Amino acid sequence: MKKYRTKGNIIFDAIIYIIMIFVLLVCLVPFIYMLAVSLSDPKAIVNNKVSLIPIGINFEAYKQIFRYPNFFRAYGNTIFYTGVGTLISLIMTTLFAYPLSKPNLWGQKIAMKIVVFSMFFSGGLIPNYLLISNLGLTGTRFAMLLPFAISQFNLIILINFFKSLPSEIEEAALIDGLSYFGVLRKIIVPLSKAALATVGLYTAVFFWNDWFNGLIYLDTKQYPVMLFLRNIVNGTTMVGDAAGSADKATIAISIKSAVIITSTLPIIILYPFLQKYFVKGLTVGSVKG
Amino acid sequence: MKKTVTLLLVLTMVVSLFAACGKKNGSSETGTKDPVATSGAKEPDKQDPGNKEPEKQDPVKIKIYYSDNATLPFKEDWLVIKEAEKRFNVDFDFEVIPIADYQTKVSLTLNTGNNAPDVILYQSTQGENASLALNGALVPISDYAEYTPNFNARVEEFGLTGAINRLNLADGKRYYMPGLFDVPFYDGGLILREDFLEAEGLAVPKTFDDLYNILKAYKAKNPDSYPLTILAGPRVLYRMTMPSFGVSLGKNGAGGTNTLSWDYEKGEYFEGAISDGYKQYISYLAKLYNEGLLDPEMADPIDGDKWSQKMASGKSMATYAYYDQIGGVSASTEIEGFKLQMYPSLEGPAGAHHQQKNRTGSGIMFPAATAQRKDFERVVRTIDEVFFSEEGAKLWCLGVEGVTYTEENGVIKYSDELVNSAEGVYKTLQVKYGCGSDVTQLVWVNEREMTKYDENYARINKEVAAMGDVIQQIPPTPLFDDMKAEDAGVLQTPLFDTFSVWADAFITGKKSVDNDWDAYVNEMKTLKIDEFCKIYNDNLN
Repeated sequence: MKKYRTKGNIIFDAIIYIIMIFVLLVCLVPFIYMLAVSLSDPKAIVNNKVSLIPIGINFEAYKQIFRYPNFFRAYGNTIFYTGVGTLISLIMTTLFAYPLSKPNLWGQKIAMKIVVFSMFFSGGLIPNYLLISNLGLTGTRFAMLLPFAISQFNLIILINFFKSLPSEIEEAALIDGLSYFGVLRKIIVPLSKAALATVGLYTAVFFWNDWFNGLIYLDTKQYPVMLFLRNIVNGTTMVGDAAGSADKATIAISIKSAVIITSTLPIIILYPFLQKYFVKGLTVGSVKG
Repeated sequence: MKKTVTLLLVLTMVVSLFAACGKKNGSSETGTKDPVATSGAKEPDKQDPGNKEPEKQDPVKIKIYYSDNATLPFKEDWLVIKEAEKRFNVDFDFEVIPIADYQTKVSLTLNTGNNAPDVILYQSTQGENASLALNGALVPISDYAEYTPNFNARVEEFGLTGAINRLNLADGKRYYMPGLFDVPFYDGGLILREDFLEAEGLAVPKTFDDLYNILKAYKAKNPDSYPLTILAGPRVLYRMTMPSFGVSLGKNGAGGTNTLSWDYEKGEYFEGAISDGYKQYISYLAKLYNEGLLDPEMADPIDGDKWSQKMASGKSMATYAYYDQIGGVSASTEIEGFKLQMYPSLEGPAGAHHQQKNRTGSGIMFPAATAQRKDFERVVRTIDEVFFSEEGAKLWCLGVEGVTYTEENGVIKYSDELVNSAEGVYKTLQVKYGCGSDVTQLVWVNEREMTKYDENYARINKEVAAMGDVIQQIPPTPLFDDMKAEDAGVLQTPLFDTFSVWADAFITGKKSVDNDWDAYVNEMKTLKIDEFCKIYNDNLN
């Protein structure tokens, strides 16, 4: 261990630590500030006294957003979309990725090309909207779940991961009498926890953050919480063009902060739990593939 | 070989994509009718268990888009909504859409014709909606005047027939029922610290020079302040002050041309951006900026919190904003004797004028699919009654008699609960009962509105009304067809960009109004501001 402690190494480590601490602060300070603002007395905020520590602690902002008529319903919706959406997405992506990871599959190359093509070119907003609504999905929760079941990016990560698994294990399982589905279920999926966790996290974050699809496809009762957040944080500044009511209406920053905190915290909390898979899953596919 | 195969494949895919789109477009028209028809058919069994009293007719079910503002979050069980449903025998199915995305949702639903609601609130036929209307996405409601007796009566009562006719599009039809105002409100304007005026013995400002002197006096006392600030964006300042200089330009200029203004005497557009009035205006702002009297941050939008901070901490003492906002600042300041007051419009070279306003506002439109409903007439008649009848108008404005207010000999008295509420009658009525939301209230009687506010506000409004022609009408929108609109659009964008860049440079002193004005005028002329103006004047009706 001692031989690594050369002068150069120590300086190098120090620089890395400084940079990392800086990056950490850049990410953390706004969040702490928001937390402080959301817990502070409005008077202190207006008089510009709040920095990183809440002044005159009160929970009024939180009380107020919990009183918003649809907050909890929207929150529940988001949890539903994230949970079910991620589950559907993981199943569908795995089912698609596994066959495509077999180079000997007939048409595998063309299928890959189609996947990649659709990654860069899509139908655009109106054709998509027409498609979804003519499929009868608008106004149903499936409009949030089904169209995003397979993301090409996640699919490619999974394909590469599956390719990296030694084929001998599968062959052995086939000889021992497992069907292809059996192999996938009993051998491949358990071996791919890292990759699935990564893809799952990506998907979960996508579903958690998505507001636009919710807006255009869903009815009010099905709106996710992000739309609610957007309305509170942006609603009054975005509509400046329409003179009048929007300019008149302002929402206290403490409420904005409280909404941001409550609606982003759960998904942030997910990260540390999945982190060990996350790093492994990202690298494994590429290193061995 | 491989390449050709790939190419072929890509081609087939592209072709099939287009083919698919074409087909979907065709079928979508028939598809739209279904949801409406089924929603109509389902409604009886849904209603029956709740309603014990036998009714002659089942309530008419209307799906309606509502633009939701986070400061006034929509509640389905608002008293006025429940009451309106009961009184007018209707079952509203509100789609509550955040205001920031309202236009997106409306545009998508009208463009595709899919999943359209029966009624869309808070819209007008400006911009994209006009071409959507002309292409058949909306019901030309003016064709069904016999279904809207209450609306017609209000229009007549307020003397708005001319104004309503001006909302017709190029085909001579009107596609929405606008909100109606009997007298335009003076709801915002110059707001400044009355306590400072009193302490310094300064007179109430009447002209822009008075304002300059007040700002200067404040700056002398507080050298590190920027006495004049604004709320939201510079547009608020511009649109509230420019009319006193005879112009209305920029992002929210009246008429929506950005660079033209309306000559109220001649009744035509002129090149406001290169007029003398604008030159005087921009010189005035440049002077304020140069002497540190104007908040340099005003180029960016200043949001409500920052604005309150500036005002409450004494960093600024004057602002252009809305009356509703004063309370919040006064409540949170730590300056002793702090008192904000709103003043009538200041007098400039073209007289004392405020932001132009129409006596018609955003209103109700019906997507084309609604006309396919078998009970279309009933839908329109119900909507007309709910929003435009005297009974309906009172409901959306004042709430329910006996609950929120009582009326004796025409004098309105609000319930004790409202009068004693911390947020005031107006705000409490809004948030708690749903009255006075500009989405659902479509009839605005000034006198009735004023009962909700404090005496001070009513007094200012009276003063402004007594000054005569302070709030001018918004100039008429020319009747463009798609081609003409395109032509005008092509000229408008570069003109507006140049105008904005120069306006910024003039105010901040990067360019001098005295020396560089001609260069600016030449540039605008090269960009054909005259031709742009001509297109507008040629298409007035």
